[in-house]
Amino acid sequence: MIEIEGLSKCFGDLIAVNDISLSVPKGEFFVILGPNAAGKTTTIKVMAGLMKPTRGSVHVCGYNIESDPLDARKRMAYLPDFPFLYDKLTPSEFFRFTGQLFGMGESEIKTESDYLSDRFSLGEFLVKPIEGLSHGTKQRVAIVSALMHAPEVFVLDEPMVGLDPHHARELKDILRERADQGMTVFVSTHQLSVAEEMADRIGIMNQGKIVAIGSHAELQAANRDNKLESIFLSLTTETDG
Amino acid sequence: MDELKHISHWRLLFKINQIQNWRRLKSAVLSSRLHAFLMGLFIVGYAWLAFELFRKGLQFTSSFPGLGPVLIERMIFLLFAFLFFLLLLSNVIINFTNLFRNRETHFLLTLPVPHQTIYKWKIFESGLLASWAFLFLIAPLVIAYGKTYNASWHFYLITPLFVGLFVVLPAIFGSWVALFLARWLDRLAFQVAAMFIVILAIVFISSWLQPEVVTDEMLETRVLDVVDRLLGRTQFSLFPFLPSYWVSSGLTQWIEGAMMGSCFFGLVLLSHTLFFGYLAAFKSGGAFFSSLSTVNSRGQKETLWSFVKSRKISQTAFEPKFLDHLAKLFWWSKRDSRALIIKDTLTFWRDTTQWGQSLVLLGLLVAYIMNLRYFSHRLTSDFWIDLTSYLNLGACALNLATLTTRFVFPQISLEGKRIWIIGMAPLGMRRTLMTKFFFSTAVSMLVTMALVGASCMMLSVSIERMIYFTATVGVMSFTLNALALGLGALYPNFREENPSKIVSGFGGTLCLVLSFLYIVGVVSLMAFTSFWAFGGSSFIMFVIGWLVFLSISFFLGWLPLRNGIRRMAALEV
Repeated sequence: MIEIEGLSKCFGDLIAVNDISLSVPKGEFFVILGPNAAGKTTTIKVMAGLMKPTRGSVHVCGYNIESDPLDARKRMAYLPDFPFLYDKLTPSEFFRFTGQLFGMGESEIKTESDYLSDRFSLGEFLVKPIEGLSHGTKQRVAIVSALMHAPEVFVLDEPMVGLDPHHARELKDILRERADQGMTVFVSTHQLSVAEEMADRIGIMNQGKIVAIGSHAELQAANRDNKLESIFLSLTTETDG
Repeated sequence: MDELKHISHWRLLFKINQIQNWRRLKSAVLSSRLHAFLMGLFIVGYAWLAFELFRKGLQFTSSFPGLGPVLIERMIFLLFAFLFFLLLLSNVIINFTNLFRNRETHFLLTLPVPHQTIYKWKIFESGLLASWAFLFLIAPLVIAYGKTYNASWHFYLITPLFVGLFVVLPAIFGSWVALFLARWLDRLAFQVAAMFIVILAIVFISSWLQPEVVTDEMLETRVLDVVDRLLGRTQFSLFPFLPSYWVSSGLTQWIEGAMMGSCFFGLVLLSHTLFFGYLAAFKSGGAFFSSLSTVNSRGQKETLWSFVKSRKISQTAFEPKFLDHLAKLFWWSKRDSRALIIKDTLTFWRDTTQWGQSLVLLGLLVAYIMNLRYFSHRLTSDFWIDLTSYLNLGACALNLATLTTRFVFPQISLEGKRIWIIGMAPLGMRRTLMTKFFFSTAVSMLVTMALVGASCMMLSVSIERMIYFTATVGVMSFTLNALALGLGALYPNFREENPSKIVSGFGGTLCLVLSFLYIVGVVSLMAFTSFWAFGGSSFIMFVIGWLVFLSISFFLGWLPLRNGIRRMAALEV
């Protein structure tokens, strides 16, 4: 579903992402971890089509993100850490708008937005202007709009920011459900607990490179350590020096 | 079959933004009906007053037998030529922000919306934003032009068509220039290039504006020859490849009843609009994404200063920079205030679109004042010297009002979501605002007093009158800055990051209107109560004039600033 081959991204002299290759198959819940400025967000932005790679390629659902961006983006959803929403619209209007952009029909939009709004307790906010909603509620609106068209690949950058424990749980549950149904989930986070609990595989990035990859158990075995935190710290401190 | 699958992305974007803007307008009206009423009054008042003034002016000019129509026709060509260049500049600036710094653009890029559609939508939006105010300003003049020549009803129908086609071209060219600048110039290179271009422009305009030497004998015997020479300076507006030439020719010929000629120019305009419109609407999406990716991928280092890299970052990062050393000269001010000023200066300097616009405005003013030296030799009558000196005062103040509205007004809004940083600091909102006020006032006073002083020297006015004019513009600087900052704090827009959009809101428009009314009122007052000018008034009138001027200036600045400070102090961050 996601194929990254020899991806590099430079900002002037700075190499933010340095020749990474990665394959995330259909239905996998993949979590990418890394310290600040490790290159996670840059990798995600290239995947989301916000910038061109300096070298290498990214394929989403078999489509090259550079040469077939529309085909790729039709099949994916991207949730940034601070999503953009039209502040004068209501959530229901925003869902309708994004649904239409993805070519969904009226009834399909209604069914999906009703179902997801219910799961994320958005019922009472559906007809209120987005500008008046709290950060967490806006985050839930963005999550619903991203999931509505049933993407095959869902890329999330720090999705738990601003969510209360109840809705963070709901997000984890729905991501797990969708992954079990075949959606590929690619999450960047600093919350090691999310990786421990949810991930099928974990990638650890540092200084633009993937320094470790595998299931939680594989990482434990390879590093002879039970705790993901100490594995993470040892891997990211070693290469720092 | 799905009933919605075929709705185009462009239509969806149009619809959603239409709803957004309509609700924004509605909430602005509902939040203060009085302000909305005043704004409506201003719009109608301006349109009426401008129309009457233009009509009288055009009727006066047309009363010169033979000469009047020639002058009016050239004025129409000049109007559209300048409009074209102003729209081009405005479109470059707005497109740059809208295409590369806009959150909606980044959001749309992650959706299955073609780059081409996003680009098309953004240039449409930028074109509207850049053009509406210009069109509103020139509409009374064009109507007055039609009235002067008793144009038939269809002239008023055809004119919007011509103008509508015309404004598309600077919108497209402006967006292409923005793409080019974003793709090929980093900030430093752009700043150097812009500075170079402005200096060149000042030199060019200064030489271009030099008046013709005309003797009394020539005025007596060879009027047409003299007029011809004078019109030679405006020959550029007749360059046949300028879109403004096509629209001007189309409209002037329609007025004259030469329909075929007018239709020809209409078709020339239409064909160019369609050709470039096609390229913009269907062929520029790839270039847009390349430029956007380049902007997003640009390194932080400034290549011209790469020699600094030989030193470790840790050695250089915290060393005092030029501005820190400069700020130390103001040893009596508090350190936190100095820090705020340094932050504001750096932010302004690093935002190319912000200082680029101020450079253009100041450049035009410098070019104008430099040319006064030519006028001083020609102005032999006291009346004209008096008139020119007050017009200078007005021009400087109007320029300052444009700068304060454009740069001082959005200062609080531009703090945006970062407002909590200064809000929570021991500096406090009151001192934050006062620091911003004193800093912007000091810079404004420095520039405007120097320019007015220079213009007085060019006109060879006496030293006491030079002090009088510089003191007047100094007081006006206080008022205009206080007004802009106060209204900026009273009507903040923390959601918008584009200063052009912040200024085009209700508060910005109110600021501009009040500033202009203040300038017109005060300059008239000072002229009528002047001790020297226009025959001179009594000393008592002179003192009363100053007292009224100082009172108006104080209250118009102090009231909004005081209320703005209160509003910011009560702001929940």
